[in-house]
Amino acid sequence: MEDNIVISSRIRLARNLKNYKFPVYMTTEEANNVIAEVNYALNKERKNYDLIYMKELTDVQKNSLIENHLISPALAKKNDSGAFLLSPDKKISIMINEEDHIRIQTLGEGMSLKECWDLGNKVDDDLEEYVDYAFDKELGYVTSCPTNIGTGVRASVMLHLPALSITNQVEKFLYSISQLGIAVRGVYGEGTKSIGHLYQISNQGTLGASEETLIERITQIVMQIVEKERKTREHLKKNNYDELEDDFYRAYGLLTHARKMTTDEAMKLLSLIKLGGEMGITPMVIGKDIYKLMVKIQPNNISNLEGISMKERDKKRAEIIRNELLK
Amino acid sequence: MLCDECGKKEANVHLTHIINGKKTESHLCEECANKTQSIFNSSFSMENLFSAMLNNTFNAKTYLPKKGCSNCGMTYDEFRSIGKFGCSHCIDTFKHRLMPVVKSIQGYDSHTGKIPKRAGGKFKVQMDIKNLKAKLKSAVEREEYELAAKLRDEIHALEKKIQGDE
Ligand SMILES: [Zn+2]
Ligand SMILES: [Zn+2]
Repeated sequence: MEDNIVISSRIRLARNLKNYKFPVYMTTEEANNVIAEVNYALNKERKNYDLIYMKELTDVQKNSLIENHLISPALAKKNDSGAFLLSPDKKISIMINEEDHIRIQTLGEGMSLKECWDLGNKVDDDLEEYVDYAFDKELGYVTSCPTNIGTGVRASVMLHLPALSITNQVEKFLYSISQLGIAVRGVYGEGTKSIGHLYQISNQGTLGASEETLIERITQIVMQIVEKERKTREHLKKNNYDELEDDFYRAYGLLTHARKMTTDEAMKLLSLIKLGGEMGITPMVIGKDIYKLMVKIQPNNISNLEGISMKERDKKRAEIIRNELLK
Repeated sequence: MLCDECGKKEANVHLTHIINGKKTESHLCEECANKTQSIFNSSFSMENLFSAMLNNTFNAKTYLPKKGCSNCGMTYDEFRSIGKFGCSHCIDTFKHRLMPVVKSIQGYDSHTGKIPKRAGGKFKVQMDIKNLKAKLKSAVEREEYELAAKLRDEIHALEKKIQGDE
């Protein structure tokens, strides 16, 4: 059975320019010069990326970009100095004047850290042909915050762990992983629980291990988590089939018939039918990209649709879900 | 064994922490472990931790230098409260004070991995030579002489390049 436990992979490289003050100290003018330099380096020969300034965007547009993982909340706050370059396929996003001058981010589907690194590494090389990086022989790439110093690389993988979550194993299991220098957080939602059972794991340290070693290490850990999630699914199928089937069909019933739905409710139910499809219990959702739907129904992504007010959001959300599932 | 936290229930969760290079173990019951575990979802972050450590490690104000970074003017005091460098020179200015903290946070105190072509300059070539020499050594050990000869040529070429630059 095809499952989609590893949703996506991401590599982020933090870089700074030697000849400019770092973002905590820079003036708007200096910030604009950094944007111009980075833009020139990557777009001079032909236009490879769109340049988008934070000051040109509405709050809804910014939040929608955050929900799509294309920019960070920290960049969204840099209204006067922040900008980003986005590749047409949206796999490469280069944030400028966030915490560091440059944050190259590459995204890929499934387990693709290696491909993301190759892509990010290439962009990094292209950039360095024209800009002067801050680099220290002992400590590596100099970043604003010493927690990123060294490779400046953060490798992260987004995982969908519904079986570990509904059996209450996820926190304990992920906590033991956090002991290995790996950070874990819920992807959507705040506080203690991840809505939609989506988790992101990434490395904490950036010093002392090469990029390749780091990627290999994270890949190993991800494989262990996936294995554990798969085993739990098998166990559930064997021991709790009737309950699961009932839960999945109830979720499907609500999703295909409700007229109003909050983000929280939708995320919970979508997570269940995604699991149901992957376990072969709710065959009617097989072949549908439920994760994509989870992103689509985030509040700002809905508000970003033309003419949708806050009040109409829950109604629109229910409509989008019905259309997608009954298509 | 009883739980370290409540001392009432059987401890069946065993955790190892490494803090400041010191290893400590805790043995908790399920209930207490669950309480502890929510930290990964709370506001716990490397940055908070880092800032807290900076403040703990260097409380002796009298040792702070009057002058800060010669390039951007950031003082160590400011760096300590912001937790971020003001420019690329700050790292040289604060390095000797920073090293122990970096080491305890990151677990290491030297960079391994990519070196930028231009900013790395001669240093990158030196590191490339070092890596090639390690490869050469293992090629010789495995008796792969064809590969060894190729690596030797590459090393010579790089060494010439460095001498040419001088
Ligand atoms: Zn206890
Ligand atoms: Zn400075």
